[in-house]
Amino acid sequence: MTTDQRARSIGVHLVLIAYSLLAVGPILLVVMNSFKVRSAIFGSPLALPDASTFSLVGYEKVFRSSHILTYYSNSLIVTLVSMALVLLFGAMAAWALTEYRFRGSTALALFLSIGIMVPIRLGSVAILNMMRSAGLNDTLTALILVYVAQGLPMSIFILSEFIQQIPKDLRDAARCDGVPETRIFFEVVAPLLRPAIATVAVFTIVPIWNDLWFPLILTSSDSTHTVTLGVQQFLGQYITDWNSVLAALSMAILPVVVIYVILSRQLIAGLTSGAVK
Amino acid sequence: MANLRIEQLNKRYGATTVLNNVNLSIEDGEFVVLVGPSGCGKSTLLRMIAGLDGASGGDIHIAGKLVNALAPAERGIAMVFQSYALYPHMNVRKNMTFGLKFTGVPPTERERRVAEAARMLRLEELLERYPRDLSGGQRQRVAIGRAIVREPAVFLFDEPLSNLDAALRVSTRVEIANLHRLLKSTIVYVTHDQVEAMTLADRIVVMNKGRIEQVGKPLDLYYEPANLFVAGFIGSPAMNFFEAEVEGIEGGRARVAGTAFRNLDIPAGSLKVGDALTVGVRPEHLVRGEAGFFAAEGVVELVERLGEASFAYLRRVDGRMFVAEVRGRQTPAPGETMTLVAASPDVHVFDASGLRVAT
Amino acid sequence: MPEPVSNITVQMPRAKRAGLLLFFLGPAVAIYSLFSIYPLLATMALSTYTSDPSGARSFVGLANFETLLGDALWSKPFWNALRNNLIFFAVHMCVQNPIGIALAGLLSLPGVRLKGFYRTVMFLPTMLSVVIVGFSWNLILSPLWGVAAGALKAVGLGSLFAPWLGLESSALVTLSLISVWQFVGIPLMLIYAALLNIPEELIDAARVDGLGQFRIFFHIKLPLVLPTISLVSVLTFVANFNAFDLIYSVKGALAGPNFTTDILGTFFYRTFFGNQLQLGNPTMGAAVATVMFFIILLGLCLYLFLVQRRIRRYAF
Repeated sequence: MTTDQRARSIGVHLVLIAYSLLAVGPILLVVMNSFKVRSAIFGSPLALPDASTFSLVGYEKVFRSSHILTYYSNSLIVTLVSMALVLLFGAMAAWALTEYRFRGSTALALFLSIGIMVPIRLGSVAILNMMRSAGLNDTLTALILVYVAQGLPMSIFILSEFIQQIPKDLRDAARCDGVPETRIFFEVVAPLLRPAIATVAVFTIVPIWNDLWFPLILTSSDSTHTVTLGVQQFLGQYITDWNSVLAALSMAILPVVVIYVILSRQLIAGLTSGAVK
Repeated sequence: MANLRIEQLNKRYGATTVLNNVNLSIEDGEFVVLVGPSGCGKSTLLRMIAGLDGASGGDIHIAGKLVNALAPAERGIAMVFQSYALYPHMNVRKNMTFGLKFTGVPPTERERRVAEAARMLRLEELLERYPRDLSGGQRQRVAIGRAIVREPAVFLFDEPLSNLDAALRVSTRVEIANLHRLLKSTIVYVTHDQVEAMTLADRIVVMNKGRIEQVGKPLDLYYEPANLFVAGFIGSPAMNFFEAEVEGIEGGRARVAGTAFRNLDIPAGSLKVGDALTVGVRPEHLVRGEAGFFAAEGVVELVERLGEASFAYLRRVDGRMFVAEVRGRQTPAPGETMTLVAASPDVHVFDASGLRVAT
Repeated sequence: MPEPVSNITVQMPRAKRAGLLLFFLGPAVAIYSLFSIYPLLATMALSTYTSDPSGARSFVGLANFETLLGDALWSKPFWNALRNNLIFFAVHMCVQNPIGIALAGLLSLPGVRLKGFYRTVMFLPTMLSVVIVGFSWNLILSPLWGVAAGALKAVGLGSLFAPWLGLESSALVTLSLISVWQFVGIPLMLIYAALLNIPEELIDAARVDGLGQFRIFFHIKLPLVLPTISLVSVLTFVANFNAFDLIYSVKGALAGPNFTTDILGTFFYRTFFGNQLQLGNPTMGAAVATVMFFIILLGLCLYLFLVQRRIRRYAF
């Protein structure tokens, strides 16, 4: 490496490091200070908690005065069930649209792609009416149904791209082998779609976990709040209690960060797989 | 084991005709190779026999049964794909038994068949491996094994060797020929490689633009091509063609003249004076000489040395090129003028519509 | 969507084919139609009704839209929200996308180490909830905590600090920048993926031709990822005109100070659900949603007819 190249390489890394700090700094700051006593939060916000400043008082408060565990389990249920249905129904529809020739398939594909560009939120007024009249108001089921409807178009689009990458010969081989069409999908195609899960997750599952809008309009009781909504309401209530606020924020941040760090390789591979063009 | 009969088969996609009135009859136990340039319809024909593509018209009979309306699995066929199409998430054993599950073969019978196929194809050691851990040749053998265990009436091969390197291609070719000898099964085999076609086939079907140009034994196609297309397609380097015309007819013999070769004398048959003809001679049938049934002159421009033979590329008097095979260590030098001759059985004459004329 | 590749269904008996298609497409189409398309249409239909205090509804044609665009009580906040939304979008286009492109360009340079680490870190904020991000920044920028002020002072820019989120002049841009900070990961990743797709040999060829990395980026890479950049712009547009969470969680439904951060999403929410100042009005809410729908549609059409058609996609 010449000195010129080295200098440039250092420059590149300086920019990247600077931006990385900007990206994680605020998150670190919040999480770090959530473990401190109030005086240290204000006295030395940039310092790590040490023996004298360490405190879990905020967390105690959050546990005591909110249903944070219920929120977690609600978010988990809603996200996991939605994810399973989005993947299953999305893959099935993507398979039929990419594999079978039938009249109206192009029109149907267009119909389904409306949902990629037009946010389902704009139908909120009618969704709320529907859920009320169906007695699903303030239930997790209502959230799941809406999220599945919201996630399907994008997941169908992404999964279609993946299904097309599966060699055509493979399906034909299965047909020559006498495998029924449904089994071809479930036993030959579906297992090969595993890499697509990460891409679908980034574009449809993460937004579900993070959503504020639908929990806000569709759920009204503590027992159906998700983490995002629950924490948001908690923050509004305890706005002046910095320990609690920082702890609540951290509790919303940490599970996501942990899961993200564990899965980041797959998630980023899914993002950069080129399936979304 | 079964025969295969194809009648008046047509395939159209919108305005384009992919197969045009194809008729073909294949005997029980016969190894038939479909060969032709890409886009000639050979793969489509194979996929239609398999039932993977539907026909626009015509019938397919397998073992005397009309199979037009049957699904691939009900036709008694097995197919080996160019890409092998092994299920990547199943090991070799599972790959071979997967299809049998759905056709009602009991588990013990499945195991017996897999064991037998594995022995035949030397796959015993590989049964628990996954496709990603196999070499190209091994994958190829698994793909064949998967076809064998189905005990089909007809085997269909779609360019099975084109993803292998040259050495492996030769050894797998021999292996497939052996397999055919052992199984005595009916095989339809698609390739664009005429060497594969020549070495493997009992009969070759040469296709072009959706039509069958000629069906015949390998050497019959080589020595008696029915038309210009087959003449030019079979053989490498390709046959040399010279434009010619019937100059005169005397006593049942026609005098054929062209700018680039000396006059020929052939049976007149139904030829008339002024008919346009094409005279074809294979490079390997041209020898250095002074006079012969056929003789042409040219100036050597380039010599390709292959070892056992060399190919001389010569410029004819009409400005076009022709090729002659030269044996031995002494090769002509560029710039040298050569006269090349050929004997009468090796000279092919085609009429204006491309059909072969008796010589 | 691409052409279907298999003809297998053509040969099937009609009933079997119908059954197969119903099995595979039925669930997705049913849920999607019922909970996505139907509510959109029902909302549009509802926008042509009005309801009296007793809850009875009557058809009023386009009267709600006339009110929305003509009655100063409605049109002033609507145009305000639309203008703010355009500013919100403009900040994203001018800040988020260039930063995303620049970072993707740096990451795709040959021989940069720790790429995986940088990518993971830079994409992290995108994974978090907008609510959490908004509130965290709210704290950081708060003069009460003084972290931001302290940080600026440390680099000698202490005098620049102001309670940006609280000032009418700067609240909207500050919120936009918070959103940029969070979502820069999307253009970064998509453009990075597009850059990775450019064949190595093409870059090598340019290097052999004597181009430096800077020129390679501007003359070779950038033109080739233009389709992705335009896709990112559309995604940004749709997301921005649908945004709500950030403003609501930082500023509440009233989008203060003095509605300077009000965008269409918060305006829609206020109209629909009401707030301290007004009662909820579902039919007017539906009208606002319908207008938002047409704004997004207009944007998409402009993109499809003006941008998409002029952009050449290159096959490698």
